[in-house]
Amino acid sequence: MRYITFALAKGRLAKQTLSLLEKIGITCEEMKDEKTRKLIFANEELGFRFFLSKAADVPTYVELGAADIGVVGKDTILEEGRKLYEVLDLNCGKCRMCVAGPASAKELLNNGSLIRVASKYPGIAKDYFYNKKHQTVEIIKLNGSVELAPIVGLSEVIVDIVETGSTLKENGLEVLEEICPLSARVVVNEVSMKMQHERITKLLKELKKVIPK
Amino acid sequence: MSISGNGAQRRELLHTPGGVRDIYGAECARKKEIEQKVHDVIRSYGFRDIQTPTFEYFDVFNKERGTVQSKEMFKFFDRGNNTLVLRPDVTPPIARCVAKYCRDEQLQIRLCYTGNTFVNTRPYKGKLQEVTQVGAELFNDDTSDADAEMIAVMIQCLKSSGLREFQLEIGHADLFRGLAEEAGFDREKTEELRGLISSKNFFGVEELLDKTKVSGKVREIFAKLPELLGNLPECLAYVRERTENERVLSALDRLEKVWAILGLYGLCDYVTIDFSMLSKYSYYTGVIFRAYTYGNGEALATGGRYDGLVGQFGKEAPAIGLAIVIDQLMVAMERQKLFEKNPFGGCILLYPQAVRKEALLLAEQYRDKGQTVQMLRKSSKKTLEVYREYAKRMDAEKLLYLGEDGKLTSYDIG
Repeated sequence: MRYITFALAKGRLAKQTLSLLEKIGITCEEMKDEKTRKLIFANEELGFRFFLSKAADVPTYVELGAADIGVVGKDTILEEGRKLYEVLDLNCGKCRMCVAGPASAKELLNNGSLIRVASKYPGIAKDYFYNKKHQTVEIIKLNGSVELAPIVGLSEVIVDIVETGSTLKENGLEVLEEICPLSARVVVNEVSMKMQHERITKLLKELKKVIPK
Repeated sequence: MSISGNGAQRRELLHTPGGVRDIYGAECARKKEIEQKVHDVIRSYGFRDIQTPTFEYFDVFNKERGTVQSKEMFKFFDRGNNTLVLRPDVTPPIARCVAKYCRDEQLQIRLCYTGNTFVNTRPYKGKLQEVTQVGAELFNDDTSDADAEMIAVMIQCLKSSGLREFQLEIGHADLFRGLAEEAGFDREKTEELRGLISSKNFFGVEELLDKTKVSGKVREIFAKLPELLGNLPECLAYVRERTENERVLSALDRLEKVWAILGLYGLCDYVTIDFSMLSKYSYYTGVIFRAYTYGNGEALATGGRYDGLVGQFGKEAPAIGLAIVIDQLMVAMERQKLFEKNPFGGCILLYPQAVRKEALLLAEQYRDKGQTVQMLRKSSKKTLEVYREYAKRMDAEKLLYLGEDGKLTSYDIG
């Protein structure tokens, strides 16, 4: 039997995914050992392999066929813009992609002025401002703590993931516009979907039944 | 030891730009061989070779004539400041040729090609920017026989290459167009729907249908789309019961006919029908098909009917084409370990200066018999052992040594 290989985005999402998989009888004991240094884990009986990678790399592994199935946030899928089948919404890790900033920045979003936008997601930010709002902006790519940018004057607004909004609030920022809702998705490689059709659709069907509502 | 400035500079000259690469040695021999095999199959169906330029005017490939976005083409300017592009695809140039050279032909025109295509993708994507395609185009024939034949040609090409496990997926471009039409979608919504269905994002499709308040039987078809594959009669019945859209119905009829003809070819085992199959290329108007195999992440061959393309160059002619990406096929075969060792073979004829004349004659005799012979004059400073090692490195089958006494000794290598 050929392996079906899963690429999972490191962190909370991977744990949630594994517990979902466990509910449909797909387990991976090796992976639960927190101290292990192994990079790839297998369930030989069922013919599954799993590995963890940085979220942004999951679409790459899946597009190029190194993994058959991936589990990753919608934010990453949008940002990476890879050719993938996006087959299932896992309905967890729910949050929103938003434009945020100080309340005073709100009018800058409506008068078409050239503003600076800081984000970890330059692709999403660009698509939103250029193709949806038709506003020319300067995008500044940051790698973390994006909330800092409007506070220290690096940018007027930011584009970032908002879960509860408490980090924004504590720093005197607020959600100005919502770009789209986000959640964890199951993605499948185009060729795997064809060549391993039976096993993958069976798995997806079972998985669909145990997704939290 | 320190590297001299000069040496470092020379080493920099060794690199190729990202996305392109050298193909040499055994790999190159295999590639040529596969190209040849695939091409031979295509030729055996009556296709005639054609060569078009490596670069052409940008407009030939732009908009609905092309398969690649404008920003993914390699562009440059000629002296008259016209925009030129390295061809991203060979089909539009061939359609141009048909409109130009076969204006009055009313019956079938069959053309085939081998050529490199260029796509300017973003760096670090793990994709080649230059690949070799072998393809065939059939013009002036809009029958289901032509559809089935092209699918059969693709299957035979892949079989001839040595690939064993592969699958063809067949769909119809009008299924989607008709359904979107029936749902009453405008252009923007249709494109959104196309994006969702082509990424098999069916929960996204449902959301969109909710938002646009599509209901009734069309909705039932959309909801069932992901499962509409495999069992053709069942799928056909399901959709036919739920629509009266002419586009959809005639697409279904066509698929049914093509399937029946493929049965006559005895090739149904290689084929599955997928109603949700879509092409990102808007120039396809009828049957579309793609081939997949284990070991690489994307389709290795694509094809489809494009009845409107030649018309854009000034001659109305229905057409159907296929293209096999040889580099993708190579990757798949490499990963599936389908290549045999030593594809080059041939022998090396080693001779000292004294018997040059005899050696030349001997080599000619071998070549006349169809043998590959590489001539090599033996240096008196090197031993026979050195040459045997060399023959091994070169993947030669045999080393022939013609001694000064005129005696020929043959050493098997490998």
